[in-house]
Amino acid sequence: MSRQSDAILELDGVYLNYSAGKNHFSEGVHHVLEDVSLTLTEGETLGVIGRNGCGKTTILRLMGGIIAPTKGSVWQRPGTASALLSIGLGFRGDLSGRDNALLSAMMQGASRRHAMSFLEEIKEFSELGESFEEPVKTYSSGMRSRLGFTTALITHVDILLIDEVLSVGDAHFKNKAERAMRERLSGDQTVVFVSHADKQIESLCDRAIWINNGRIACGGETSEVVSAYRESIEKSNNG
Amino acid sequence: MTLSQYIRLIDVQAKFALKADASRYFLGYVWWILEPLLYVGVFYVVFNVILNSRHPDFLTFLMCGKLPFVWFSKSVITGSNAIVSNAGLIGKINVPKTLFPMARIQEGVYKQMAVFALLIAVVVINGYSPSWIWLWLLPVIALNYLMIVACAFVGAVLVCYFRDFSMIISLGMTFLMFTSGIFWDVRTLSDPALTELILNVNPVAFILDAYRQILMGGVAPDLGGMLRYALIFGMLAAGMVFIMRKLSQALALKALTA
Repeated sequence: MSRQSDAILELDGVYLNYSAGKNHFSEGVHHVLEDVSLTLTEGETLGVIGRNGCGKTTILRLMGGIIAPTKGSVWQRPGTASALLSIGLGFRGDLSGRDNALLSAMMQGASRRHAMSFLEEIKEFSELGESFEEPVKTYSSGMRSRLGFTTALITHVDILLIDEVLSVGDAHFKNKAERAMRERLSGDQTVVFVSHADKQIESLCDRAIWINNGRIACGGETSEVVSAYRESIEKSNNG
Repeated sequence: MTLSQYIRLIDVQAKFALKADASRYFLGYVWWILEPLLYVGVFYVVFNVILNSRHPDFLTFLMCGKLPFVWFSKSVITGSNAIVSNAGLIGKINVPKTLFPMARIQEGVYKQMAVFALLIAVVVINGYSPSWIWLWLLPVIALNYLMIVACAFVGAVLVCYFRDFSMIISLGMTFLMFTSGIFWDVRTLSDPALTELILNVNPVAFILDAYRQILMGGVAPDLGGMLRYALIFGMLAAGMVFIMRKLSQALALKALTA
């Protein structure tokens, strides 16, 4: 298979299975993804839509090289960096927001000095105020998502893999976050954006795929994919 | 990730964890010294007061063995659970998996610096005079560290695949506590062949004995034994780094799903 010249990331016939818990026999095997192929080109914003548990987060983890496919291959253009942004997990509850932000930035490859330099920016954008110095375990879920989103936004990578980050937080912060996102998206940033919120996908993405039961049910123009997805939801609601 | 970034991250994670730990307890940093001392206290009461050990300087003897052992056992246990307990972070970013056990080990290193300072102070107060032989402590401590790293890496991979190993490792530490000559002297066993055997097959007994040889006996530890164990654990640690690099994504999947 020849690669498009502007391809930055490619999944080719990807399967992902795993056995959960102590059950190491075949009946315990979960089939999360089956035969998923897609190409991400430089500068585009790809939306991945689907219902809870359909394998959206798993696709992002495969794209980010966090896990490897059971079968098939994942190719990323050599020398590019990707980062997965998601809320909730990854914070240490007993550390302050400041320490967590520093740690996150360093994990993403920033040097300590570089990471220190944008801590104030994170504090300001996240609107956490004095809570920025408090342990994260005292945060509400909205505050956590603000910290997570802001920390992610500030760090710059070639491919941004975004997992439902915009789904929480109050209306004011959500608008602000969407504006900031749009600014990033209008540049040459390559983004994969995962959500079950069809409106966000529609407003942010050039192209979309719809994942259903671990397979690509539909892919192409965002509006077509989203309307096919809506139709199926309505069908299942009525049926 | 470059080596300097890797080292910096281990250090920052360890320091943050220590800070968070200290803020959680009323006695804060005092616990660094207090916890190992309480272990020593319990052993002292049981083996000297109740069971009457008849060792001329049981307190110094016990501290030379118990304090390095607590460092070893706590570091290996927490290091073994480090990958599994960081699943949240591992699901977000592809970093070398050795980073997590190494951070926990580094936490232990900072605490142990204070503990070793205390140990030296106690040894001096109890009438042992410092000599050039004490410089042997540096390679002994380095070997002790290498043992911790190798064992924690093996443990971390095993626990990732089968959580049950976390139980087995704790039990193994209790077994080592009884078999490594912490409250009894390997060198005064009735059968010298048994002494030889224990020092040759149990690296923990060997290293604890080395601390005592240096601090209490004023003699250098067995260089041949040091080199042999350094080679074994050095190769084991290097092999585990290689394996954990190969298995990086498989370990992530296990940590996330099992």
